[in-house]
Amino acid sequence: MSGRTIRLAAIGAMMAGTLVAQSRREYRYNVGPKAAISINNPYGSISVKPSSGNVVIISALMHSNKVEVDNGQSGNRVEIQSHLLAGADAESGRVDYDVAVPPDASVTLHSSTGPLHAEKIHGDLTLVGSNAAVDVRDVSDAHVHVKTLNGPVTLTNVQRGHVEVDSLSGAVTLDRVTGPLVQVISTSGKINYLGDFGSGGEYRLTTHSGDIEATVPESTSADVSARSISGEVHDDIPLLPKLHTSFDVKQGSAFVGSMGQAAVSSNVVLRSYNGKIHLRKRSTK
Amino acid sequence: MNCVELRKSLAQSEDGGSAEQQGHLKICPACSALLADLNLIASSAVALRAADEPSPRVWNSLEIALRREGLIRSPRAHRSLIPSLSSRWGWARWMAPAAAALLIAVGVYVHQHSLPEQLARDAARPIVSGAASDATSDLEIAGLNDDDLLQEISGQAPAIQAQYEDNLRHVNEYIRDAKSNVAANPNDEDAHRSLMEAYQQKAMLFELAMDRSLP
Repeated sequence: MSGRTIRLAAIGAMMAGTLVAQSRREYRYNVGPKAAISINNPYGSISVKPSSGNVVIISALMHSNKVEVDNGQSGNRVEIQSHLLAGADAESGRVDYDVAVPPDASVTLHSSTGPLHAEKIHGDLTLVGSNAAVDVRDVSDAHVHVKTLNGPVTLTNVQRGHVEVDSLSGAVTLDRVTGPLVQVISTSGKINYLGDFGSGGEYRLTTHSGDIEATVPESTSADVSARSISGEVHDDIPLLPKLHTSFDVKQGSAFVGSMGQAAVSSNVVLRSYNGKIHLRKRSTK
Repeated sequence: MNCVELRKSLAQSEDGGSAEQQGHLKICPACSALLADLNLIASSAVALRAADEPSPRVWNSLEIALRREGLIRSPRAHRSLIPSLSSRWGWARWMAPAAAALLIAVGVYVHQHSLPEQLARDAARPIVSGAASDATSDLEIAGLNDDDLLQEISGQAPAIQAQYEDNLRHVNEYIRDAKSNVAANPNDEDAHRSLMEAYQQKAMLFELAMDRSLP
């Protein structure tokens, strides 16, 4: 037997072993309106999409027999927990979930590694993960609450949302995110806002040492207050200055003014301590 | 008119100003003294409007004593729950709700003004650089002890520990800068809010480190 054959046989045996260890399970639950779904997965991804009808379908891919899925339903509440068995680590304890929930369900996801993904839901969303990348898109009329340590957070097309993002050092990107309240607090992460700040909402983007960049179309209506204690601020859009402000507006480190129609304007507060703040106009191209 | 009749008549007219009453008062030092006391109480009660409301037990005791003395009668049927302001003593019955309303107003005012002042006092404390001093002041103010966090993550992989330590260092810098800003601008609402947000970030760091549902 040649050396090449032996190597191929060894690789084949290893792959077979891996495939045997992996297993997929599916769980189905009938729920009522506004069901509560909670998934706690220390290692691995969770992806949530809307189901048709009042049914929750959970597909779990377990990467080894060192992890099992505990699941249960109590009334209108479904709880899923990846249960790590002795010796499980980030690889062998990994479970990847594909979840379909009624669109009006409220969903709570926990994962250390992630990624966490949710789309086309209009129930409340809570996503918590230290290193997990968080991606939420096409969500409307929902509370969206995200907490991460390092993981990047991307919210796309969130309409009429009540959005609160807390991130220690992960980058936060909000693309077309509007609502009565949009708040991001970060320690060292960069915050990037793309969109028009909706109408009549409260937008507060705060970071200690990260940069803040807001790119808005010319049609935006907003009262903007930007301030960096020891960083710089840049404003590419001419603002109508405010006569009265609650702090001293020092050239280069703060600007306050309004743009667009005052009647529908949102209140936008951009704050950084060391970081740079840049309000820029979106290119028409 | 004798003393008993005078006291009964006082309970009805409440001022001792009729000719019969005046006639008895001229010849009876005890009743004169009683009326003087009543007038003194009435005038002193004005100054008590802003004082704390006595407990219902005190009012009950007073009522029982006054009934025993025959100075007040049993309540009439269909008596209005709203005290009348027309009688001389009627205003005194408004003292309880007035005092309660005043206390609530004072409570709300004190609550609204004490938090920023407390934060400003905290922020005005001398700031010594270094993680140890930060940890101490954090422990005092927010109950967040860096040692607890480091202990909690000590069993984690070195890479995870490094991440937490790095974030802890950054969030302590955030708190330190926010404190300096509050100290420099004690009337700046933004500065106070920034300090609160810095503590909120640190609280979240602890929450994630101690979240038992995560490894």
